[in-house]
Amino acid sequence: MAGILLSHTEKVYITHGVKNEYRSDGRSNIDYRPMELETDVVSHASGSARLRLANTDILVGVKTEIDVPKPDKPGLGKIEFFVDCSANATPEFEGRGGEQLANSISNIMLRAYQSAQAFNLKQLCIFEGKQCWKLYIDILILECGGNLCDAVSLAVKAALFNTRIPFVKAALMDGGNVDLQLSDDPFDSKWLDVGSAPLLVTLCRIGEKCVVDPTAEEESCSLVSLIVGVTGNPKYYNDYEDEEELPAFEAKCSVISMHGPGSVSPQNLRDAINQGIIAAVCLDEALGKTLFRERRDTEQFKRHSYGFLK
Amino acid sequence: MPLDYKRFNGPEDSVSYKRFTADYLKSYDELHSELIDETGHRKDGRAMDEARPMYVRGNFVSQAKGSSYIEMRGTKVVCSVFDPREIVHQNEFSTVGLLFCEVKFAPFACKRQRQSHVPDSEEKALSVALRKAVGPTVCCQLFANFQIDIFVYIIESDGSCLAAAITAAGLALANAAVPMFDVVTASSVAIIGDKIFIDPTEDEEHLAMISPDTNTNHGVITMARLNGLMQIADFRQIGSLDIECILKVTDILEQECQKVFPKIQKTLVGYVKNGIMEQKRLSEEGKAREAKLKDKMLEWRSSIVNNSV
Amino acid sequence: MDEEGTEKICIPGMRLSTLQGHSSGQGTYVKDGYIFAALSGILKTEEDNKVIKLSVVSLITPSILPKAGDIVTAKVNVVNSRQVQCVILCTGQTILTRPYKGIIKKEDIQLKYKDGIDPYKCFRPGDIVLAKVLPTTELHWYHLSTEDNELGVIIATAEGSPPGVSMIPINWSMMQCPKTLVKELRKVARVVPENINEALLPLHFNQDDESLLLNK
Repeated sequence: MAGILLSHTEKVYITHGVKNEYRSDGRSNIDYRPMELETDVVSHASGSARLRLANTDILVGVKTEIDVPKPDKPGLGKIEFFVDCSANATPEFEGRGGEQLANSISNIMLRAYQSAQAFNLKQLCIFEGKQCWKLYIDILILECGGNLCDAVSLAVKAALFNTRIPFVKAALMDGGNVDLQLSDDPFDSKWLDVGSAPLLVTLCRIGEKCVVDPTAEEESCSLVSLIVGVTGNPKYYNDYEDEEELPAFEAKCSVISMHGPGSVSPQNLRDAINQGIIAAVCLDEALGKTLFRERRDTEQFKRHSYGFLK
Repeated sequence: MPLDYKRFNGPEDSVSYKRFTADYLKSYDELHSELIDETGHRKDGRAMDEARPMYVRGNFVSQAKGSSYIEMRGTKVVCSVFDPREIVHQNEFSTVGLLFCEVKFAPFACKRQRQSHVPDSEEKALSVALRKAVGPTVCCQLFANFQIDIFVYIIESDGSCLAAAITAAGLALANAAVPMFDVVTASSVAIIGDKIFIDPTEDEEHLAMISPDTNTNHGVITMARLNGLMQIADFRQIGSLDIECILKVTDILEQECQKVFPKIQKTLVGYVKNGIMEQKRLSEEGKAREAKLKDKMLEWRSSIVNNSV
Repeated sequence: MDEEGTEKICIPGMRLSTLQGHSSGQGTYVKDGYIFAALSGILKTEEDNKVIKLSVVSLITPSILPKAGDIVTAKVNVVNSRQVQCVILCTGQTILTRPYKGIIKKEDIQLKYKDGIDPYKCFRPGDIVLAKVLPTTELHWYHLSTEDNELGVIIATAEGSPPGVSMIPINWSMMQCPKTLVKELRKVARVVPENINEALLPLHFNQDDESLLLNK
């Protein structure tokens, strides 16, 4: 993101290292840097999460509202993404500078969540044709250190995992109108089923190979990057007592997009997609285990809450 | 749909009459069975792997530097390209030029709803996709600090709009004599289950975006390819597809993009040939006129000399 | 006459030749040791020091911008005490489809007497000038210079004269209108007439009233 100036020799050094699957900080081509994740940081949102990935800091808040479903999709709820690139992140985002980037990120998130196999909107239906839940997912980029799409998708999945949808107690039909009753108890709610929500992986093409989670120096060596959105495995996000109860899982791509002024060869494209899927599957497993552990700690009152103090 | 407050808009809660027709209430399975008939052909009579015949023409808009028109049965796309102009709101010096792409639907272009005059998110996304696809082809370093405008207007949309727009933009840029690295062609594919529809119509695309209840593949993939350099300029997928399907479709799309290329090539060569013939004709006419003028001048000169004598 | 035999037609991305013994001219680019065409047009080959220079000539004006060192034809818009603003109409031999803005600074008008020069005595709005493009210093304005003898005003109309009557140069800093006989100060360009025999012809042909003027 920032204007890093690299000499030609440094770029050659990075390119040769990537060719041998060895990067300047010792990672392999599909390793991520360590991340910190915390959910439930914003008390007024139905669900929230904060993710720090090296220099990138993302805060996601999920708000739920009751809305009328679309006439051609009466049994489905709605979901909307808003990305806000604040001027805190970099001075380039001042005024309307960050608008293009915000639009492109919200666009790709919308496409990733479009298929029912990625996120089933049926779970947001209250009364078919009359009332449904609408989720507003607000993504705030607090600090921009490269690799935004990955961090945003992780934070969104974590926030959705943390989202509580209140139980609708009664839905009376009163002359065509629906009367809803929700209880006052904030814990009388259900969790969303986000096991299959997609995770985006950005692969930067450097030379003939692609790297995952590039640093700013590596990003300035690359002309084109590929974004692959892979659906998640519900196994890690639910408490299944019996392993055989689960249907066989196969990771699927829910969105693929290219970014940058360059082009790729067909072989590059194939390798990159394969790499992206492998990286996403590992990431998904790690995220699921972390989120599950956090939820268990919260239920047993063992969790320390740091919020923004760390 | 965002409203354009400078125009008089219809009542806000008006709804398309099509919502009350029998067509609207058809279920997913009914629509799916309609797409392919018993002989394995699609609704418009094509085979599964057959693309629609394409009509390609350049020099369509006389006021633009370069333009093109592409028609694939129901999809009709016009593209105009203009000379480099100063970048508006430019703050810093840059060593490369910019491409400004805008894709617009005509209000009567889509069959499902009326498109508003204000660009909505779909048009903006298409503009970004077009810029990504056409960006690698143009020699941007030759017009630093300036931008080249590419305007695509979709007159009628029946599936594969982005692919048609990219091909039209590539042809219009070549028609405008903008220095390019290569000619770009694009094609798209819709996947429903294990059926692959090449060059899908709007009905096929619409159904491919909806997921059936089971975990089957569904989606739409669009690819833009640089033919001489054999590189992929843009690859866009939406839906839910597994990896083998994507890899198989990548091969199919490459072949489809390659099939479009000879038409573009033929059009460009045709225009150069016409240009050469036109130049020859003009120079011959010019010489004939000059010869006539010379004769007249000699005639007058001799008449003046005769009169003064 | 078979034009496919005499002229080679190229389209962008077509591989023309290897770099050995060839160099890339206008309308082509080099990649991976090969020369490719960048425009659609006719291939032109020129011998240049035993190296064949390949260039692609497009039938319509290519979308390129004037660059430093080009000689451009511009029309003067605004004359100021510090600079002259003009609109660039042609680059070299090609007419531009979209005009660009240019500026001639006071110091770049002529070689001598740079301090005491008055731009109003060198150019007037409406004049057509030949100028050279200087290296870019500002974003969207081209800096031009008319320092050389061959650069300066080509066509100008005197104030008060009927339109279409262009002045004839008397010396390097003055022009005279043939109809009203008014003399005006301009920085005149030393342009060699194309057909030098016409200057020696005894009779002139006046475009306006199609009558003949006897040369004095």
